[in-house]
Amino acid sequence: MAATHAWKETGSGGETTATNINFGSVDAPNLVPATYPITRATNSFDKYIRCLFTGSWTEISAMKFWKSAGVYKTDETITGSANATYATPSQTSNGDSLIPTTEGTALGINSAEGAATIVYGGSGVSGYTGYIRLQTKTLVTTPSGAVNQKTFTFQYDET
Amino acid sequence: MDNPISNNNIEVNNSISNLSFLWIAIFKDESYISQLENGIEHRFQEVKDRFNELKYFSIYNKYTNQYFTIDLIKGLFYNSGISYSKEDLKEEKKNIRLIYFRRNRIIMTESGDQQSHQIWYFLGFQYLDKLGNNQKIILKINSDGSFIIGE
Repeated sequence: MAATHAWKETGSGGETTATNINFGSVDAPNLVPATYPITRATNSFDKYIRCLFTGSWTEISAMKFWKSAGVYKTDETITGSANATYATPSQTSNGDSLIPTTEGTALGINSAEGAATIVYGGSGVSGYTGYIRLQTKTLVTTPSGAVNQKTFTFQYDET
Repeated sequence: MDNPISNNNIEVNNSISNLSFLWIAIFKDESYISQLENGIEHRFQEVKDRFNELKYFSIYNKYTNQYFTIDLIKGLFYNSGISYSKEDLKEEKKNIRLIYFRRNRIIMTESGDQQSHQIWYFLGFQYLDKLGNNQKIILKINSDGSFIIGE
């Protein structure tokens, strides 16, 4: 098989297949934002996203992640960091930088083991990427109501 | 060249079904490896293991049979049998080495209601020109078979 890709999210409840990247005021994957809205001047809980490759391949390389679409509301931002060390998600600002918005400036993603490539069948290779930590931040000046939908892109080369 | 693209490809229910183009490697002894053969997918590693024996490397569209071929002896590429005649492809080349990979782009919206998986096929070769400089020619091929030269 060629490689099969799946999004995974890890939180205090363990790891779950992620079907969306909704941010909210609870540490939960695939949450409903209207049920767990982010109060102005606070942050969302961190999200720890990573990718899992199954099937078979020869080598996966050049892994990148960026926010590819979606306009921020006033004083709304999303921060991100690549290959983060997992910690229990919280609403405390994690100090990460703004997530890149172009392929050219995208976060470079490693394997979970810290290599730039994921070699099929390699010793100790899990098929996971490193964690991508994301958080939405707001200020008191952020308007109330739903934010605009964002789009995230993960890109990789495969043989 | 003969086109040994086999008719015994049996698609299996896995991620290979996302691929419009499959590869076939033809070696100097006329043996070949198809990515998909009798329902079994061969890994590209099998080609890498015989890189020095490669004569042709093709990818073909499993729906339209359009194919792109790299001639690793002469340093030429063909689009469905037609040699590409750019002048810079005709210069003397040494140490011709295959370039092939698939670029995957997984897109997910914040709400998850729109997810997509785009694939481009990068096919080409690098070589040493008569001055000993490393040169590279690479095609970026869309799933519909349209292509551009270079990244």
